Amino acid sequence: MGFEPRIVGFLCNWCSYTGADLAGTARIHYAPNVRVIRVMCSARVDPTFVVKALAEGADGVLICGCHPGDCHYSEGNYKAMRRFPLLGRLLRDYGIEEDRVRLEWVSASEGKRFAEIVDDMTERVRRLGPSRVKTLLEADRVER
Amino acid sequence: MEDRRIGVYVCNCGTNIAKVVDCDAVSDFAKKLPGVAVARSYKYMCSNPGQEMIIQDIRELSLDRVVVAACSPRMHEPTFRKALQTAGINPYFLEMANIREQCSWVHDDARAATDKALALAHAAVRRVVHHEPLEKRFVDMCPATLVLGGGIAGLTAALELSDAGQPVFLVEKDDHLGGNLARVDLTAPYLDSARDMLADRIRRVLESPKIEVLLRSTLQSLSGFVGNFRAEIRVGADGARTVDVGSVLVATGFREFDARRIEHYGYGRLPNVVTSFELERMLREGRILTRGGRVPKYFAMIHCVGSRNPEYHGYCSRVCCMTALKYGHEIKSALPGAYVYDLYIDMHAFGKGCEDFYRRTAEMKTMFLMYAKGTTPEIVPSGPDDDCEMLIKVHEVLSGEEIEVPADLVVLMVGMEAREDAADVAHLVSISQDKDGWFIESHPKLDPVATTTEGVFIAGTCQAPKGIPGSVAQAEAAAARILGKISRGKIEVDAVFAEVDETRCSGCRMCNELCPYAAIEYDAATKRSRVISAVCKACGCCVAACPSGAIQGRHFTDRQIFSQIEGVLEWASSQG
Repeated sequence: MGFEPRIVGFLCNWCSYTGADLAGTARIHYAPNVRVIRVMCSARVDPTFVVKALAEGADGVLICGCHPGDCHYSEGNYKAMRRFPLLGRLLRDYGIEEDRVRLEWVSASEGKRFAEIVDDMTERVRRLGPSRVKTLLEADRVER
Repeated sequence: MEDRRIGVYVCNCGTNIAKVVDCDAVSDFAKKLPGVAVARSYKYMCSNPGQEMIIQDIRELSLDRVVVAACSPRMHEPTFRKALQTAGINPYFLEMANIREQCSWVHDDARAATDKALALAHAAVRRVVHHEPLEKRFVDMCPATLVLGGGIAGLTAALELSDAGQPVFLVEKDDHLGGNLARVDLTAPYLDSARDMLADRIRRVLESPKIEVLLRSTLQSLSGFVGNFRAEIRVGADGARTVDVGSVLVATGFREFDARRIEHYGYGRLPNVVTSFELERMLREGRILTRGGRVPKYFAMIHCVGSRNPEYHGYCSRVCCMTALKYGHEIKSALPGAYVYDLYIDMHAFGKGCEDFYRRTAEMKTMFLMYAKGTTPEIVPSGPDDDCEMLIKVHEVLSGEEIEVPADLVVLMVGMEAREDAADVAHLVSISQDKDGWFIESHPKLDPVATTTEGVFIAGTCQAPKGIPGSVAQAEAAAARILGKISRGKIEVDAVFAEVDETRCSGCRMCNELCPYAAIEYDAATKRSRVISAVCKACGCCVAACPSGAIQGRHFTDRQIFSQIEGVLEWASSQG
């Protein structure tokens, strides 16, 4: 069997999680590789969640929030948006490919968009191959 | 932690889940997880026997945590929390794994879907171990309601609330009440007068000592939370009002589709092409004339202008078909010699009394001509020998012929669309819009007038196109929901909010600035920040940002989310 990426998804409760539910209600099929963890707002996604997921063996991490201007908490997604490049820089410094971590906006009515994002991300991560973060960390631990 | 007694319940949802996910495999797998005392797969967990099963297990097997792998928590989390409470344990000891909306309904590969369901159930078990008992908070419910929009929905709700003795602030943007209905003459299918309907309601609203009507007014801001909102309202050009309300009802209505957008109908260019609302005005005034001042003989209604066309709006506007039939009646009663043609795609006559109305209209010799979806009838000037202003060329579907319809007045049956300020309103009151701009209800079938913001309700055409009975029913439903909250006096607020661990807080005040609700205050004496729990809405922004890790978001703690991350991944890796 080929490589099946394991992707952890952090979805905000109000827009993106509802959008993902809508994909279900509308029976829009998509790749089964994303495992969703619900948070109230994309601003709750602590960069350590992303690092933790990669360290635990995730091949990719997807963060979804409300579209800019639509945040249930008025501006949480802007905070997520500002934090994201910093996290990206950190991951780059550690040699983690950019495509492995992604921030997207999905509204409560965008079930189709959510499905497309999952499919697209799964494909991109599949092309990158398995993440080596967990293996490297374990090797590092053994050496010490 | 290890001596937890967890019950895991895997719902088959009839075959909704079980036809793709191997539910027995999920419960068998769960049985072997540390801390799990019992795991069962059952046809409908949300049914009474399903809930009873959980309640009985909690009591008999002394369960202290429960995982339900079923539909989305957005659907049944309250149901199962209640079951836990009934059984005598804290309702927050529940965690749900979404294996329907986000699994069985979106995957067809049974193996992959079952794998995902196992991972999600595993994560839920790992998470629920760390759930803490939380106590619900109760706050006072302000009995006043802010109603936005003075159309038929807003008027109806205002009357229902005030008749029950509760105060209402009715905010209307225009200088008069009545909304779009004030532009209508008679109404289908019983041909009763919109004016009569409105006049009575408006009179009662204006006379009610409980209703304060604010005309030429708009909402500027809304702060607070259910039971305790504060609204800033601009009144007229430079007046301002601040009102405290417990609930908000958004009934802002629709605007008509701009017929200019479909250029080839020539609206705005051809003098005798008018919109349905313009014909409505002629009917109200009792003067139906062409632009040249002639009494028209041939009338042609073109249906679905802006509706059921992917280029404009894909949806059906629901009221235009019956409105067009109504014109047939009104025109023939005003001008008995007139000819009426209805150019339609499909005749939607689904409402009560509407099919009869359709039949009666046909008996009155209104000529029905069907054009194909995706095509548009073409309006051309008439020739010198024609006794009409224009001709409409149309490929008539039922006869299969190209025909020319004479017309002195072409009436474009313009559909409904979301108002231009709908996005602003949505933003002000924290509700969402769907792809067409309509406000989104909490559940499309089971919770049609509530929204995702507690205490904010929607009614009428701001939610989706609908006729008067639908708008009135929603307005009454929303009023009933609001009165229900008022009658309880206190309202339960979610027990989820952020807390600062003062022993770890460095007093950097970063969170003070970040909080969108100004719910974090700084105590200069102790040099520590503190969350005002009643104001906190639990977004978790401060939790993620605190450099000292001193803030914890209840029910979304780092520990809980970390266990969930481990849960989804450890399972996956163990499967290779």
